[in-house]
Amino acid sequence: MDEQRAHARRATEPRRSLAVCAVIGAAVMAAIDEIVFHQILHWHHFYDRSSDGVALLSDGLLHTAELLALVAGFVLFADLRRRHALSPAHAWAGLFLGLGAFQLFDGIVDHKLLRLHQIRYGVDVTPYDWAWNLAGLALLLVGAGLSVRAIRRGPRTP
Amino acid sequence: MTAGHPPPLAPVVALAGVLADVAYTLAAGRLRRRGDGWPRWRDGAFGTGVALLLWGWCGPLPGGPFTEHSARHLLVGMAAPVLLVLARPLALTLRNLPPGGPRRALLSVAHSRTAGWLLLPPLAAALHIGGAWALYGTGLMSVTHHHPPLDLLVHLHMVAAGLLFGFAVCQLDPVRRRRSLPLRAGTLLLAGAAHAVLAKGLYAAGPPGTAFTAGDLHTGAQLMYYGGDAVELLLAAALAAQWYAATGRRYARGPARGGHGAGLRVQRPRA
Repeated sequence: MDEQRAHARRATEPRRSLAVCAVIGAAVMAAIDEIVFHQILHWHHFYDRSSDGVALLSDGLLHTAELLALVAGFVLFADLRRRHALSPAHAWAGLFLGLGAFQLFDGIVDHKLLRLHQIRYGVDVTPYDWAWNLAGLALLLVGAGLSVRAIRRGPRTP
Repeated sequence: MTAGHPPPLAPVVALAGVLADVAYTLAAGRLRRRGDGWPRWRDGAFGTGVALLLWGWCGPLPGGPFTEHSARHLLVGMAAPVLLVLARPLALTLRNLPPGGPRRALLSVAHSRTAGWLLLPPLAAALHIGGAWALYGTGLMSVTHHHPPLDLLVHLHMVAAGLLFGFAVCQLDPVRRRRSLPLRAGTLLLAGAAHAVLAKGLYAAGPPGTAFTAGDLHTGAQLMYYGGDAVELLLAAALAAQWYAATGRRYARGPARGGHGAGLRVQRPRA
């Protein structure tokens, strides 16, 4: 029994589970942003012309990286499942870390530093910025809490 | 403003497309009858690719002149070539040709040094995206309106460069050299970014020398941007599927070399 458990402990890959799901989380948040705020609400503008060429290039790179990360994340996840190497607790922690990290990154770097677009136009954007970034921070904290719990429990088999 | 009109030689292209699809279907059927594995979805991909190519080249497309041009560019230069490449036309042809002159000639072209260079992913991407930048970033687009031969050349380049890019990124067909997955994925990333920047730039300002309305430019540019996303997702999925299958084969060969093989050998009994 102990030997089996030891084998299982070796076989799951907690770090990889966390990293892969963080990639998925970030890409999913990017997709939610694109679908909800750009397409459904029409709050974000496609391009509001207040950014320069460098910002536009970084936006293009990030946007394409999100698409590729979504596909890569899911195929790496499928690979973990196939090898029975997924550690669910670490995977959940990674997912929330990824969701929160992307939300905060988008709120601070894309909206404020690169000024690619704002959350909403024609209104005072300050409360929106706060809500956006605090939501990101909350997701990040949930992810951090889940990580601590997952690390304390140690790797488990699915 | 004549940007909306279909490119020249529509009947010839339509005929060539239909003939290619018939040939593909016959060749794939022949392979299956002799017992080769040739999945049916490849026939579907080829047929869809031909249909999209013909729709983009010959068909009426909705929207203003620039939107219509964007839709054409998307169908003819991006969506159709990727679907055609996924159907592995070169491998199918080689498997059908009997040993002899034509087969040797085709192989020598596929394995030639020139093909090797052209299929270097960054170079193929530069030809593909560079062509688009030249068309939209210079006065080329306004000139093509008055010169049908140039218009034809531009559209032929779109198809050829799209096919080359698809071949180089997917590398499903037997060619001179296999390029690594990181190189191909990195190329896809840079090409996708360049495409996104181009589309956003066109949203703000149309190609030099043209006078499209702002609404038309906005619709066309967004169509280009999100259509590009769809094609990138398709290419990324093709690369991911290749990686998944290749690592699966490596695990099956044993854990000694693969490193991660331990988990695949047996279903572990639950403790």
